[in-house]
Amino acid sequence: MSNPRPSETPQVAPAPAPASAARGGKPRRRGALREIWAEYRRSPRGMLGLAIFLVFLFLGVAAPWLTPYDPLQDQFLADRMARPGWMAFFSRYRDEPVTVDAFLLDDWRVVEQENVDIAWGERENEPVMLARTEGPGAARLVLEYTFSYRSSPPDTFYIQVPYAFSGQGGASGRAVIRFETPDGRSYAMWESRVLRNEVRWTTQRIDSRDMQTKTRLGFNPLANLAAELINAPGEYRFVLELTADAGATGAAQFTLGESRFRIPGRLHGLLGTDHLGSDLWSQFVYGTRTSLMIGFIVAVIAVTLGTLVGIVSGYMGRWVDELLMRVVDVLISIPFLPILIVIVGVVGKNLWTLIFLIAVFSWMGVARLVRSQTLTLRERSFVEAARAAGASPGYIMRTHILPNVLGLVFASLVLLVPGAIVSEATLSFLGFGDPRVPTWGRMLQNARGFGAFGEMAWWWILPPGLALTILAMAFVFIGNTLDDILNRRSNER
Amino acid sequence: MSRAYFWRRVGYGLITLFVIVTFNFVIFRVMPGDPVSLVLSPEFTPEVKELLREMYGLDKPLHTQYVLYLKSMITFDFGRSFVTRQPVLGELLSRLPNTLMLLGTSFALNVFIGVWLGTKMATRQGSRVEMGVTGISLFLNAMPGFFIGLLLLLAFGYYWPIFPIRGTMSVPPPTEFWAIILDRVHHLILPVTAVTLSGYGSWYLYTRNNVVGALGQDYVLTARAKGLTQREVLYRHAFRSVLPPIVTLVFLSLPGLITGAVITETIFSLYGVGRYLVDATLQQDYPVVQGCFYIIALAVLVCNLLADLVYGLVDPRIRLR
Repeated sequence: MSNPRPSETPQVAPAPAPASAARGGKPRRRGALREIWAEYRRSPRGMLGLAIFLVFLFLGVAAPWLTPYDPLQDQFLADRMARPGWMAFFSRYRDEPVTVDAFLLDDWRVVEQENVDIAWGERENEPVMLARTEGPGAARLVLEYTFSYRSSPPDTFYIQVPYAFSGQGGASGRAVIRFETPDGRSYAMWESRVLRNEVRWTTQRIDSRDMQTKTRLGFNPLANLAAELINAPGEYRFVLELTADAGATGAAQFTLGESRFRIPGRLHGLLGTDHLGSDLWSQFVYGTRTSLMIGFIVAVIAVTLGTLVGIVSGYMGRWVDELLMRVVDVLISIPFLPILIVIVGVVGKNLWTLIFLIAVFSWMGVARLVRSQTLTLRERSFVEAARAAGASPGYIMRTHILPNVLGLVFASLVLLVPGAIVSEATLSFLGFGDPRVPTWGRMLQNARGFGAFGEMAWWWILPPGLALTILAMAFVFIGNTLDDILNRRSNER
Repeated sequence: MSRAYFWRRVGYGLITLFVIVTFNFVIFRVMPGDPVSLVLSPEFTPEVKELLREMYGLDKPLHTQYVLYLKSMITFDFGRSFVTRQPVLGELLSRLPNTLMLLGTSFALNVFIGVWLGTKMATRQGSRVEMGVTGISLFLNAMPGFFIGLLLLLAFGYYWPIFPIRGTMSVPPPTEFWAIILDRVHHLILPVTAVTLSGYGSWYLYTRNNVVGALGQDYVLTARAKGLTQREVLYRHAFRSVLPPIVTLVFLSLPGLITGAVITETIFSLYGVGRYLVDATLQQDYPVVQGCFYIIALAVLVCNLLADLVYGLVDPRIRLR
């Protein structure tokens, strides 16, 4: 239908006439919202969706308070692919090794202290312990860390002792790391040579899987040293023995940093660990945050763009409409995932690129919807009244058309979110995600790439996938319920 | 359907193709560095580099390159892969049958299961069975396609190792004819199931809703009043009216199916076009990326065109200008 439009000169329309038209055309905002909510509340499907969404929103927003770990930085928190901690409730996993991770500096128990003066210092802003000979002659310091171990034998343990030694006037020193079991066996895990000169700051590391250590202690090089040593429940002792001889006039000093004794557990946290011993629960909650953020930003961009194009196209008609709709046709018929793969492959893996690209390829549906709605609104009497009063097209689109398509737009915003989330997850899963951002898709990509399937690590595979499904369903529920209500309302009017 | 309509649709298809092809050209030129620097190690002498630039046609001005490029796209000459140095077209053609097999089988199953179940359940609306089936379909429909694939892999590839976890055929392949067929089928079952499970839901929901709508119409009441059996009413009258949009949907759903193929081929390591695209992109093998993308886009465009044309044919109520 051709419509004689007024010239586009006045951007701000004459005041009185459009104002009265606006009052006629606009639905009562506040009252309308309350009515929609009252109707929405009666839909069990909609309320279920809303509840699920709120749970995920809480997880995403409260992520830093729900987990003490950083999803990407904190590694080796437990053994690789450790099961979730709550699985200890099942008898089969009750005795799985738990993590023992001790950082020892002032927590050492001093067992023997002969002719040694202990002082505290600082090295590169980290506190260190300074053990100095007090007088001439032999000196001896024995430090001990006791822990009780009640689980089944572990696979590995690690020890690290950072230290430095300095001796003056012919002083010598020697350090030994021992491990003592409840049944009285004692193993010298490491013995230094007799130190005569200065030893610069080094970190002595012992890995129970090291074959040299095993052979030196008299075990088969293929034996599981950790299981041989820690084979019964009881009190175990990790001992650091420092001896020195200051001679007649000299002085010796050991500088000790924070030592660490660690048994990586086979049970960890709420969702266990991945191939690097990172906490999967923290990846999950931060992934929730990323997913929701991506979903909403994409939906808002796409809906804004779609509404703009739809209103302009529908109201202006003629060649503008023709042109915009052809653009929509072209964009709709471009295969979505392949083109995203190609662009991301060339442009680079970046979260914002991804968000922008997904948005650029998701607004067309909204544009078509808004356009068809605008076409019917254009013929309504209040629009015609505004036009007769000399309102400019821009003014009519803003104050008469836009408020009336907002409900529809909101429903499609909700319905766009799950698609955006799943698109991002799919791209991340295929290896085109931002490597610096934790997402559900990335969790699944890692799970597939680093052997979660071979080890049946369901606690790694199921949570992100099910979360994607459930969240997508929740959005569909909310969106459909809103859509139903708004459609019914616009039909009644 | 008028002739003008037909040519207009073909025209739009060609415009879209042109846009995609041009995009395909532009995106690989605007990126930093020229393609030669990606294939070569810096040790090559400038002369060799120049020779290679000439070989790839990069010494010519941009518009000449563009014309050459258009010509090569029309003749399906995608050049050679940076990685394997083999012609891209040959590899594409050797992979195409696998992709078509996967797509064809799962697509037929999708439509068949979805439409059949949808019609069936429409008659039992509100029953427990119907609610169960609809619930499951909604759930599977919401589940990301790749996750369905991963779950199947976890269950039937690892936990109960019934099906192979990767590849299109056993290594070494069997020699007997029937053994080869069986081996292929064995490898295809999981991927096809994955695509089917993730795709049938929309068909089911669409058919069910429309048949339910049709069953409430007056002509169905008339058919019932004539004393026709439930079967006849359902298939001859109610289902008939739903058929035209379904036929259109057949073509319109193909692009989504191709997306599904890209994902499924990657998950199950199938030797197909979709995985070729993903692998090549990750390896920055640009001639291959261009070729794969072009083929996929072409397939999608043809499907869209067919959808537009068939739409006018199946539904007598619509007269297209």
